[in-house]
Amino acid sequence: MVEFIQIVVNGIFTGGVYAIIGIGLSLIFGVMRIVNFAHGVFLVVGMFTTLFFFERLHVDPFLVIPLVVLVGGLLGVIVERSLLEPIARAPEHASILMTVGIGLVLSNVLLFTFGDAPQIINTRYSTSTWHLGPITFSTALTISFFLTVVVISGLALLLGRTDLGRAIRAAAQNADAAELQGINTRRVRSLVFGMGFALAALAGALLLPQLFAHPSIGPTYTLKAFIVTVLGGMGNVAGAIGGGLLLGITESLGAAYVSSSYRDVFGLAAFLLVLLLRPAGLFGRSRT
Amino acid sequence: MPQTPLSVSHPAVRRGVNAGPWSLGWVLVVLAVLAFYPVVFRNFLTLGVTIVLFAGMATAWDVLGGWTGQLSLGHAVFVGIGAYTMALLVLRAGVAPWWGAMAGVGASVVVAAMWGAVTFRLRGPYFALASIAVAEMTRIVANNWASLTGGAEGVSLPSLPRFLGLDLFSRRVEFYIALVLLGLAVVAASWLQRSRFGYHLQAIREDEDAAMAVGINPTRDKVLAFLASAALTSLGGSLYGIFLGFFEPRGMFSLDLSVQLALMAYIGGVGTLFGPLVGAGLLVGGSEVLRIYFPGKSLFVYGLLIILVVLFAPDGLGTVVRRVRRV
Amino acid sequence: MKQMIMALALVFLVLGTAGGTSGAAPASGEPIRIGAISSLTGSFATFGSMERAGYALAVDDINTAGGLNGRPLVIDLQDDTSSANTALTVAEQFINSGVPLILGAYSSSVTKPLAVYMARQRVPLLNSNSADDSITKPGSDYVFRVGQNTDAYVKPFFALFKQLGTIKTIAILVSNNALGHSVENSLLTQAKDGGYPVVFDQAYDEGLTDFRPVLNRIKDTGADVLAMSSYEADAVALMRQIKEVNLNAKIFAGAGATGFAIPSFLKGGGDTVEYVITSAAWSPDVHYPKAHELFARLKAFMGGAEPSYHAIRAYAGATVAADALRRAATLSPEGIRAALQTTSLTTPFGTVEFKDFSGFHNQNPLPSILMQVQHRAYVTVWPLDVAVGKVIYPTPVWTARK
Repeated sequence: MVEFIQIVVNGIFTGGVYAIIGIGLSLIFGVMRIVNFAHGVFLVVGMFTTLFFFERLHVDPFLVIPLVVLVGGLLGVIVERSLLEPIARAPEHASILMTVGIGLVLSNVLLFTFGDAPQIINTRYSTSTWHLGPITFSTALTISFFLTVVVISGLALLLGRTDLGRAIRAAAQNADAAELQGINTRRVRSLVFGMGFALAALAGALLLPQLFAHPSIGPTYTLKAFIVTVLGGMGNVAGAIGGGLLLGITESLGAAYVSSSYRDVFGLAAFLLVLLLRPAGLFGRSRT
Repeated sequence: MPQTPLSVSHPAVRRGVNAGPWSLGWVLVVLAVLAFYPVVFRNFLTLGVTIVLFAGMATAWDVLGGWTGQLSLGHAVFVGIGAYTMALLVLRAGVAPWWGAMAGVGASVVVAAMWGAVTFRLRGPYFALASIAVAEMTRIVANNWASLTGGAEGVSLPSLPRFLGLDLFSRRVEFYIALVLLGLAVVAASWLQRSRFGYHLQAIREDEDAAMAVGINPTRDKVLAFLASAALTSLGGSLYGIFLGFFEPRGMFSLDLSVQLALMAYIGGVGTLFGPLVGAGLLVGGSEVLRIYFPGKSLFVYGLLIILVVLFAPDGLGTVVRRVRRV
Repeated sequence: MKQMIMALALVFLVLGTAGGTSGAAPASGEPIRIGAISSLTGSFATFGSMERAGYALAVDDINTAGGLNGRPLVIDLQDDTSSANTALTVAEQFINSGVPLILGAYSSSVTKPLAVYMARQRVPLLNSNSADDSITKPGSDYVFRVGQNTDAYVKPFFALFKQLGTIKTIAILVSNNALGHSVENSLLTQAKDGGYPVVFDQAYDEGLTDFRPVLNRIKDTGADVLAMSSYEADAVALMRQIKEVNLNAKIFAGAGATGFAIPSFLKGGGDTVEYVITSAAWSPDVHYPKAHELFARLKAFMGGAEPSYHAIRAYAGATVAADALRRAATLSPEGIRAALQTTSLTTPFGTVEFKDFSGFHNQNPLPSILMQVQHRAYVTVWPLDVAVGKVIYPTPVWTARK
């Protein structure tokens, strides 16, 4: 029983980071109708930005998070303005193709800048733990989970209580109607893409103390992000939280009790089933 | 998903769906020119086989992706099934590779039928996402089901019987087989350009609901297109397996391979006869050039190329040529 | 299309001259060119740069020492971009331009298709660094391997276990790829032969990284040895999480070398990798001539970065090639193949001979060594005649470390 709880706890903590990755993707899809194939690469950009500040400024990776988020947000706005805005009216395959291209270019820029070797950083808490009864918690995972909760709450307030949030939600529901209401949807789109990039970069910063950074691991995270968003419902921000936690727990249990070589199958199978049976996600009502 | 109204900007609508009766003639001309490649570039057969083989598979992908408008990012499944069915039948049952390739086609068609029947109710990006999931699961299962596939260690083909007296491992022979395959795929595409069935598919691509309203059965037609696309891709996969001589699930079923086929078609122009061929030539030939002149930068340029194509030639580079010629 | 073909044709004209590595040399006369294929870009580039250094120094040494019977050696090193397809394209171009021998490649997943192709073309392939058993088992008459295969990596562990005496059970966790499974098979066979029950055996899918659930299961088995095989990033992540879940084994073994036996493992792993024992192909402690000197020169060549054994093995591969080229009756593929078969050479890496034994063909039977991480450095601990330190055993439990 202790072992089971331990495994579920691990799953929840990992799932928190998955949720952040998924929220960004879901937000972008909800407002812009773009399936962002570069999302995992954005996360890796976040990892390397953190690494850069960590090595140059010699400060704790968790302390440079505001900087990383800022860089991510700016990059997001620039990418949206220069590359996505011009094709806003093009068929959907154009935006898929475009994000594939953006991902390739970004990951190769990282490759030229930081080289081919996997980068690992050592912090005080990279391997430290704390205990609650018989359950062990990773310190790095705990800090990142705590920050995840803070960011998600902040985001919920932003979306729910502010004018900007209302504008974003309006644009997601019906862009033309929002435009008629005097909302500048073009600006909203740029902001949303910036937020999506920033959230992915944040996830990268949270993961760096425990995992490694490598320019070519982006697609692995993109796939995770897809799974999380589909589980939660594409475009459903609250659903992405549930999707993230669900994926984290499923993977943990699957790897522990079935086989680690089939670990990714569990998430994918859930993904496919939800896609087929509840296209609006587990936590949403169908739009159609 | 918002329903896009019948888009007047779509390439097929803009240039008129029927490209004229001479298109089959062009197919023959292009194939005949390509047939001289092994004579002219006898030292670069491996590159030639790769280009023509990928052109064939990208054209096959385009039957579903371009002509029917269903974006699949899981076609590596059929490449893998083609290669593995052929190889495993050769190694375990002594079946000749050409019969093995046929069996691969059979297996691919069955898989495509089930896959299509289940996921074709999904539209647009949802279908694309589902195709990634199917392909990734297939890869993981192939990687782990060692008693069937040989697992992560891969399979190698040390020797093969001769095909009509020809050595299948000869790059020259492989080139002409790939060319025949490309010919098949292009002929299929040119038939889609003009046949009633082809019109159905293009109608589904433009507006599925409107197509249904005029009496087309979208699910059935999409599945049929998927079967044809899968069968041709699977043949390509069998040849690719012979060409490599050794392969592993992680390469044969990879997401990279699926994306590559789609990119070739898009860069050359989807829903056109020669777009995928142009795309394959550019991407395969281009990355070889880049490898030599810009070592380590080829993927970067690849990405840049994609961005530029989307921004400035959204219908693909193949259609740029056409437009220039018309002016 | 036509223009593209023209452009390609131009490229091919200069292809033969691109990327060559040549040494200024007292040797004069018409150079002898051989090919080399390595992963200079892509996922295996870390190892490709090691191979490049090894080849470059070897060519310098060979040519300053008079070359090949007076003629300088040129190694034309080409990038395979870590892809089998590219390696095949390069190999064809080499063979068509009359290259009688090819060195390479790095990764087993590239070397395997390359070996099949070379055997069919009847041109010898001399491999230095791929570990997968199946490259020389059953192998072919045209494929020769200088480096150790996974059987050889695993063997010294069991010799050590026998000497220690108190080891009973083994748990296996390997990455789910060709190398991982080759290591797994070697471990299973040798554990069975030695009478050690394997209490846990799993492969993990590469990519991510939460090993905690699996490690908790292994912890429950209470195995004495945890034998692992991973590439570099996973190796560090594994050790960190082993500490985190407080998994204590008497020995943590890097049974497939690779990720556990390269300098970045020490740097990235910090104190979590202390006491890990890994197999390795080579260390400067071995008694072969000029080993320490070569290590220092490689380090200088790589701008101060620590070379791994891959660089030394590539150096040895080039040395073996030069030796065969000197002895070959004709500089044809067949002549060189015949010369390779009678190789008997001592290099700074070790002795090289190509033997047939227990299913292997043209495989150098050199044993591996074991190194233990002690005070954040690799210390050679096995075999005893080259060891410079003693094995620290059993590994202190995590809570007993500072």
